[in-house]
Amino acid sequence: MSPFKPDLRDEPAVRLDGVTLRYDRTGEVLSEVDLILRQGSFTFLTGPSGAGKSSLLKLMYLAHAPTRGVIRLFGQQTAELKRKQLAALRRRVGVVFQEFRLLDHLTAFENAALPMRVAGRKRESYQEEVADLLRWVGLGERVDALTPSLSGGEQQRVAIARALINKPDLLIADEPTGNVDPDMGRRILRLFSELNKRVGTTVVIATHDLELLRDTDAPVITLNNGLLARDVERGGAA
Amino acid sequence: MKRETPLLPISDAREAALFFVVGALCFLAALAALTTRGTYTAAKAWGAQIEGEVTVQLRSTDRRSAEAATHIVRDIAGVESARLLSRDEIDEALEPFFGSGGMPAGLPQPLIIVVEAVSDDGTLLAPQIEDVLIEHGLDAIAASNWQYSDDVKDLLAVLRMIAFGVVVLLSTTAIAVIAFATHAALLARRDIVDVLHLSGAEDRYIAGLFERRFWLLALKAGAGGAIAALMMTAMIVVTGAQAGEIEAQLLPQLSLDFWDFVILLVTPVAAGLAARMAARLTVMTSLRETL
Repeated sequence: MSPFKPDLRDEPAVRLDGVTLRYDRTGEVLSEVDLILRQGSFTFLTGPSGAGKSSLLKLMYLAHAPTRGVIRLFGQQTAELKRKQLAALRRRVGVVFQEFRLLDHLTAFENAALPMRVAGRKRESYQEEVADLLRWVGLGERVDALTPSLSGGEQQRVAIARALINKPDLLIADEPTGNVDPDMGRRILRLFSELNKRVGTTVVIATHDLELLRDTDAPVITLNNGLLARDVERGGAA
Repeated sequence: MKRETPLLPISDAREAALFFVVGALCFLAALAALTTRGTYTAAKAWGAQIEGEVTVQLRSTDRRSAEAATHIVRDIAGVESARLLSRDEIDEALEPFFGSGGMPAGLPQPLIIVVEAVSDDGTLLAPQIEDVLIEHGLDAIAASNWQYSDDVKDLLAVLRMIAFGVVVLLSTTAIAVIAFATHAALLARRDIVDVLHLSGAEDRYIAGLFERRFWLLALKAGAGGAIAALMMTAMIVVTGAQAGEIEAQLLPQLSLDFWDFVILLVTPVAAGLAARMAARLTVMTSLRETL
């Protein structure tokens, strides 16, 4: 049981208050963003290229600190946490990166198992779990393949397996269906949905795949020029 | 059960170059330390020897009287031994001035008694010997070698400082090179570091990967350097033992005793520890710049 869980169950999974992000020598990528994602919610984030979707997700998975404003994950104000606590918080977050970020010298199995290894677990304790998950994403025959030998779609599925292996409390996916066929895209979305409904995982997916958005009734938050717009009809939480 | 692949990729060309540089630095550092120790030990032994010696020069007398004087000196309290130098020994000592033909026939042959004192300090013994010989009607001048000894001590102090400086310089260069290489490796593997970091790895976990990698690299490179230094030293020692006295003086004063082996054993361990420390500091500093 994570040390954050017991007392903070009612806190939002993600809460951003007046968050602004500016990279060096650029204008504001995000401006005064207020956002609440409740625990157990399932949310889409969309917007045109360059709108700041990936930057917003980076703030959520603690890759960057905001220039201004406050970020809270599971009630914890991230700016006040020590590095060890931040690491523990990151272990509660599963991330599917847009560019996959797989380690080329590791096999599909080892990449998917990375969060387990980082958490200090022995291989024998997660062997079956990882193999099952890779089988489920259709990579049962490719567990020992080095990632450069995998196709784009296969690499994406390894990245998804890596994000899910730890049964994260918050799943953040940046264009998770961008490199897979529509059928696999639907399967992935179904898996995320199952995780959300059965385990209560909070899911936030950045996408500009309109087909994907049409197939779901989940709330959609739109980012445009670094500003958030709420989808009122679907109850977006911005 | 399959063995886990290391999270940092197996060494690449950059690490091969670093291996060579660390090995070469360890070789130079070990050789500098061994040479310093050898020279210092030899100089110290020579200093101790001349401090306990008194040289007596006899004037206006013949060899037979000189031999009698040698017997007189031997009976003086505090004298361990006394020996009248032979003609050949005198010729050899004066060879730099008169060449291999020895002294010209017209010049008087110096008569010199080399006295070894019981104690290491012949300073007090010299005037005593001189007084006794003068009492026996001999024109003698006795001198201890303390003035040479002081020169040797000064030389030793300078030598020690230079050697210490060289060893410190080589060690800090090795540490700086390793720190630089670690930083370069960190930059080259920033993608791996980022993925581990975002997967929830603690800083010390990531630093540990680099520490282990550079500890082993420097340990192996240091061992290579130390073995090369051992071989070089052994070669010099053997060559020195086979060479003539004058030729041997051209070689560094080296030995291979217990402490020399300690230096050779410590070198790779010190290199490994320095590498580990440099890697840890570099990685931790770099990670602290991230969230």
